[in-house]
Amino acid sequence: MGSITDDEVIRKRLLIDGDGAGDDRRINVLMKSFTKWCHSSFSPEEGMSQYQRMMMSLAQCEFSMGKTLLVYNMNLKEMENYEGIYTDIEKSIASAHEKIAECKKEIQRAKRIRKNRQEYDALARVIKQHPDRHETLKQLEALDKDLQQLSHIKENVEDKLELRKKQFHVLLTTIQELQQTLENDEKMESDDTQDSPMENGD
Amino acid sequence: MGPVELLHMSVFSQSFSPCGRYLAAGNNYGEIAVFSLSAALSPDASERSQKPILNFTAHDGPVFSLLSTESHLLSAGNGEISAWSWAELIKKSTKAAWTRKPNYETSLEIPEINAMIINPKDNNLIVGGGDNNIHIMDMETGTFKSVLKGHTDYIHCLSFKEREGEILSGGEDGAVRIWDSRTNRPVHCIEVFKYEECARPQFGKWISCLATDSDWMLCGGGPSLSLWHLRSMSPTSVFPLSGCQREAVSYQDLIMSVGEGPYVSHCLHGGTVKAQIPCSPSSLNTLALNLKNTEHRVMTVGGSSHQIDVFTNFSYRALSLSF
Repeated sequence: MGSITDDEVIRKRLLIDGDGAGDDRRINVLMKSFTKWCHSSFSPEEGMSQYQRMMMSLAQCEFSMGKTLLVYNMNLKEMENYEGIYTDIEKSIASAHEKIAECKKEIQRAKRIRKNRQEYDALARVIKQHPDRHETLKQLEALDKDLQQLSHIKENVEDKLELRKKQFHVLLTTIQELQQTLENDEKMESDDTQDSPMENGD
Repeated sequence: MGPVELLHMSVFSQSFSPCGRYLAAGNNYGEIAVFSLSAALSPDASERSQKPILNFTAHDGPVFSLLSTESHLLSAGNGEISAWSWAELIKKSTKAAWTRKPNYETSLEIPEINAMIINPKDNNLIVGGGDNNIHIMDMETGTFKSVLKGHTDYIHCLSFKEREGEILSGGEDGAVRIWDSRTNRPVHCIEVFKYEECARPQFGKWISCLATDSDWMLCGGGPSLSLWHLRSMSPTSVFPLSGCQREAVSYQDLIMSVGEGPYVSHCLHGGTVKAQIPCSPSSLNTLALNLKNTEHRVMTVGGSSHQIDVFTNFSYRALSLSF
């Protein structure tokens, strides 16, 4: 119990003491020496020196009070400053978060693009295995032309064949007719010769 | 669980809770473990927060597929699908909300279920597995309403194209089949192993990973991981990854893929491998991205180990969760 009270006493003293330069004690000593100075009768020199000493310690007290005040003001300003920095940092954190989200979106988009490109490449490879459409069309056209030409030639040839067939037919019929006439002629001739020996016989 | 079980454990499937704060992982013993991501990623995380908050046996066989809906966790075991309410799981109660079995043709054999996806448009669950068929379940009534037949061997993976309403399936027969979800008819069939640029006859023709992104499809497995343009049905890029890939995901401009080998491969659409990030399991089966929760945006990978690696930044491993 005693130790706790001791602790409390020390804490209180430290609180009162300010920045630990013994301000509290100095004021007490000053008060004591002032009452002593008032009540007791000194010789003028001694009183003067006592007075000087008191003034000095009073000046010291005033100085330390001024200092404390200044420190207090400084702390207030510092607090304000820190508050400002705090909000600044908070803002920059928020903006960094936003930036990160944006970058994430960007990366997603980039990934999408990369995937599409790769798919495109893969498809292009398949397409490349097939021949070029232009060339194929050209080839088709050339073949078409060839085909037309050939069919034209075929038509010509067929026409010619037809003509020749007809001509040949004409030729054959003429030959047949000629043969017929020749045969007839021969028959007639043989008839004549058959007749003639009979005539000779007669 | 003993050290031998831990040594021989494989993690086959993962799913994040709808809130994005929990991760469920299924292993080869039929167990599902629920991890709290918020605890594991918090600044004051300890060794204990990397352990599951809940670990329970869900099925007899391995859990090959896990899927989260708005409120439930769906898990696929041997021939059956169970649903667990996330709210109940977080409260550490392990009672299945329901269990359903697809209508299999034979009752003699129980085929495993390898893949499940949700068709959000019609609120359907699409299930593919060991019977070579795709079963479609109505989530509203819980009845299996149609079967898509076409694959000649078991189905490894499924994907759904929301805009076109198309279901893609890849299987052991090496084909990627595209189905129209409205008519339940096949639309296309790509036999990946027949394309010279991606075929790898030394590994086989099976397709084990499938992912779609608008007009693009990623598929790999026995054949090399390749990027396909679906409108022209042609392979545009083939990624020079040596091992067989088990799961691939397209995220922003990256393609992340896991498979044989202790690393996550980052690839670019152009066909180059940008980076290979080392992980703790020697071979990886599953990769999941948690995009639902911006706070815990992580990638997790699991494989032939009891550890599940968590990546907060996709370019290095942050920590490992452990069964």
